[in-house]
Amino acid sequence: MTTADGAWRAGADGDGQGDGAAPEGWEAPRERWLSTVVRPAFGPRSVLLEIVARLLIPAILTFSVFLLLSGHDRPGGGFVGGLVASMAYVLRYVAGGRHELAAGLPMRPNGLLALGLLVACGTAGAPLLFGRPILETFSFSTVLPVFGTVKFASFLLFDIGVFLIVVGLVLSVVAALGARMEAEEEEARVRRPRREGGR
Amino acid sequence: MSGILHYLVPLPVVLPLLSAGVQFAFRGRVALVQRSISIATLSAVLLTGLVLMVGTDTYGPQAVHVGGWTAPIGIALVADRLSALMVTVSSAITLAVMVYSIGQGMADKNEAAPVAVYHPTYLILTAGISDAFLAGDLFNMYVGFEILLTASYVLLTLGGTQARIRAGATYVVVSLLSSLIFLITVGLAYAATGTVNLAQMSVRLAGVPDELRPVLQVMLLTAFAIKAAMFPLSAWLPDSYPIAPAPITAVFAGLLTKVGVYAIIRTQTLLFPGDTVNDLLMWAALATMLMGILGAIAQTDIKRLLSFTLVSHIGYMVFGIALGSVHGMAGAVFYVAHHITVQTTLFLVTGLIERRGGSTSLPDLGGLAKLSPVLGILFFLPAMNLAGIPPLSGFLGKLGLMQAGVQQGTPLAYLLVAGSVLTSLLTLYAIAKTWNYAFWRAPAAGAVAAPGTVLETSEDTAPTSAFGPISQAVGPSSRVRSSANRSATFGGNPIVTSETLPPSMLAATIALVAMGVAFTVLAGPLIEYSAQTAAEIMAQTPYIDSVFPGGVA
Repeated sequence: MTTADGAWRAGADGDGQGDGAAPEGWEAPRERWLSTVVRPAFGPRSVLLEIVARLLIPAILTFSVFLLLSGHDRPGGGFVGGLVASMAYVLRYVAGGRHELAAGLPMRPNGLLALGLLVACGTAGAPLLFGRPILETFSFSTVLPVFGTVKFASFLLFDIGVFLIVVGLVLSVVAALGARMEAEEEEARVRRPRREGGR
Repeated sequence: MSGILHYLVPLPVVLPLLSAGVQFAFRGRVALVQRSISIATLSAVLLTGLVLMVGTDTYGPQAVHVGGWTAPIGIALVADRLSALMVTVSSAITLAVMVYSIGQGMADKNEAAPVAVYHPTYLILTAGISDAFLAGDLFNMYVGFEILLTASYVLLTLGGTQARIRAGATYVVVSLLSSLIFLITVGLAYAATGTVNLAQMSVRLAGVPDELRPVLQVMLLTAFAIKAAMFPLSAWLPDSYPIAPAPITAVFAGLLTKVGVYAIIRTQTLLFPGDTVNDLLMWAALATMLMGILGAIAQTDIKRLLSFTLVSHIGYMVFGIALGSVHGMAGAVFYVAHHITVQTTLFLVTGLIERRGGSTSLPDLGGLAKLSPVLGILFFLPAMNLAGIPPLSGFLGKLGLMQAGVQQGTPLAYLLVAGSVLTSLLTLYAIAKTWNYAFWRAPAAGAVAAPGTVLETSEDTAPTSAFGPISQAVGPSSRVRSSANRSATFGGNPIVTSETLPPSMLAATIALVAMGVAFTVLAGPLIEYSAQTAAEIMAQTPYIDSVFPGGVA
């Protein structure tokens, strides 16, 4: 998951005008822990949450990849890995709001879903073209310099598809339920002061 | 030939999923591409179904072991005559409804909003239905149910109006409950037999203690009875299905309940042969028929009326299953195929009535036979077919069931035969009432909307509900409103009534009416096929041998 890091800076040139509606006397954090466009989904900014998110997200994403890879014959797999990975994005959304979430996404949730479905169904159906039963797995072992003996299985591709579907689905739900509601709320917040003649 | 069948069996599941992926990738930008993909996929599935029907008829049941892992370890997909018939009929229906809904989307000049989610979700629904039909594994059947339910949640609440969300909430809760019971039973059955493979479970259940088997059986029946809308568990259906857009209601009403019926047939014949619960099922069938049709008579909205007749006619299929004889089962299988087609057709015609007459509420309609004779014929044929007027297939289906009942000869069976005759007559009454109100009587002044009227599905106006206080009732009744403030139709755009009906909607409806008539014309071979299907599933061994060619471990 190198994408998170790339979009990190890409999202930094947002409109940067919002720091939520902090209560009177509340000192908003000055440091940038996430990208600059931080408008938390719920309540004012919290420096704790931002730091924790910053620290945890890479670890969570790495762990999700570990789960994905180890799923072949041990607990884990694409589904679990996908759930864990999407938790990282949900954390980022809770800490930084929908702009922050959008800045961290490699592609739209629908795109992830599409890619996942294509990869999964493609690897499921590919054996049919070679006259083998559907979903049959092809695997080989090889010796790599650092890792030692590694077994590659075509099943991993299928699992990656599942992983992408799960991430795409969870993010669509977040986008549909959380982010859209938030956007509507924000719209209302922007409209109100305007009617009263500005802030 | 029998070799190629192995490649075809998974296709009804994999093809729609793959196409859904492609459609997601296009993100609904090119409506034409979406439509072509949907129609091509569903046609391919229909073709696959037809080949499977011929293939299983010639070569017997075909089992495919997914991933090359043989049955008790891997997952088996099994196509026998019953599954192949169900896949074929369901894909024909989904194809016709897809064409109809495309026509509706075009007519409402709304191509972006519904298409983006609608097409892929619809295909995923199809994949789920096929998976439930082809699953050779109780857990995989559960997965099929979940896929189709998840897709149906999205489709039912499409547009996201208040009425739909409210009806959708009921539907989701009821479906979740049913799924929960199903899942618990899968767990219990696994604990009792050590397998979820249907064929292996069928053999091993014989060794399960006699007290435990009926528990599993009744739990599975309960889960499926909710999905199939059998009487005590049917109250959710008329409140949720009619609220969706016409094509969605049509496919849900026609197909989703029949997936439940299919699951009952499959598990009762394969896992629990014998007559432990047959008397219970008989009573349930009688209650379903009578309560359903009595509910239908009380309705003044065509969509709700049809939903109640749907519940009522589920009783016929349950009656056939409950007889426990080959004849009864053959009647049930034929009736399922007939009823899927007829019920879907009627809902599609109702959509057309709404488009022409401006409402589906009987008091607001009138004189349609004069205004639109084509609509009259399109409604009349499937309606008479539903009521069971000779020589249509509805008559043949009911006749077959009644003959099987008489053959059984027990007092309860005779009671059921009397009940089905009564239900048939009452169906005719309900249909005749609809016909008189909507088509024959002279319309009251200003009752029928003039062409070009903008419709809105009512949310705050009083629905024509038979239940409860009006403010709480969930009714789908459309009323003509002058101010179209918030639309609740298919794509979020209001339906505009028109004098000429959109050609592709008309063509799809005509195709389904023709299919209903074809069941009559081809009744001989179809009844023969149903009889062979019934004999095959009652015998169990063809199915088990196809999954375990070397005998069950």
